[in-house]
Amino acid sequence: MPTPAERTEESLQEPGCFVALTHSPLDIPSLMDRVRSPEAGAIVIFAGTTRDNFAGKPVIELQYSSYTPLALRTMMSIAQSILAKHSLKGIAMIHRLGPVPIGEESILIAVSSAHRQAAWRAGEEGLEECKARVEVWKREEFGGEEGGVWRANRDGILGQKEEPATGGGGGGGSSEQEVK
Amino acid sequence: MSSRPPKGHFHVLYFATAGSYTSKQLEALPAPLPLRELFSTLEERYQGMKESVLDHSLVTVNLSYVDMQTDGEDEEEEVIIQEGDEVAIIPPVSSG
Repeated sequence: MPTPAERTEESLQEPGCFVALTHSPLDIPSLMDRVRSPEAGAIVIFAGTTRDNFAGKPVIELQYSSYTPLALRTMMSIAQSILAKHSLKGIAMIHRLGPVPIGEESILIAVSSAHRQAAWRAGEEGLEECKARVEVWKREEFGGEEGGVWRANRDGILGQKEEPATGGGGGGGSSEQEVK
Repeated sequence: MSSRPPKGHFHVLYFATAGSYTSKQLEALPAPLPLRELFSTLEERYQGMKESVLDHSLVTVNLSYVDMQTDGEDEEEEVIIQEGDEVAIIPPVSSG
């Protein structure tokens, strides 16, 4: 259970870059304002939302956890390299932690640039880099006997199934193959 | 997680599948410990953890990734986990 201290938003800021992790619902206008610039002709914003199934199996709840100091550092390094590569005016990324109800935003990425092409490309690249590298983990809860499973973004990586409410220590537990 | 480990110990943090396997978020282990003995130390405590978790995971020491594959001990300087260090087991990530 998160303590009150863990519920607050944690962020890092560098010129043109903002990254954050938060336990609160994500707010699109406020993230857009972080990249708004009179020099920009385009803002592209991506919102990742939580799906109600995994490969057809109903998911009742999702939980995200993070290694916060490292995740923020990784997000900032991604933001800075994408800002430079696409000559952006600004880039901002925020990821939600803790339980995220189905259908709500779990990640937002906003980028601004002089022209739209760079913004489209940068937005996509930023998201793919995040999914590959940022130290955040998603657990899908299937409910009932099924329990939950830690998801892995990388293809072909095992996610370990959690035993539902067992006491005793480290249990093997069956595992699930990630599918595309 | 910002708390200091007891004297003569380092912290190891368990995320995602590592946390499920150990039923812990973190624990203090005796320092110093050569990095190359980390996985066998954990395997001793949590049988089967190497194959189901550690072999798929990365490792950080004080927020920097370290190479667990190094076997040429004489070529590279050996990394020793020191008292007060923060080690983390990083299973495959799943943000987004």
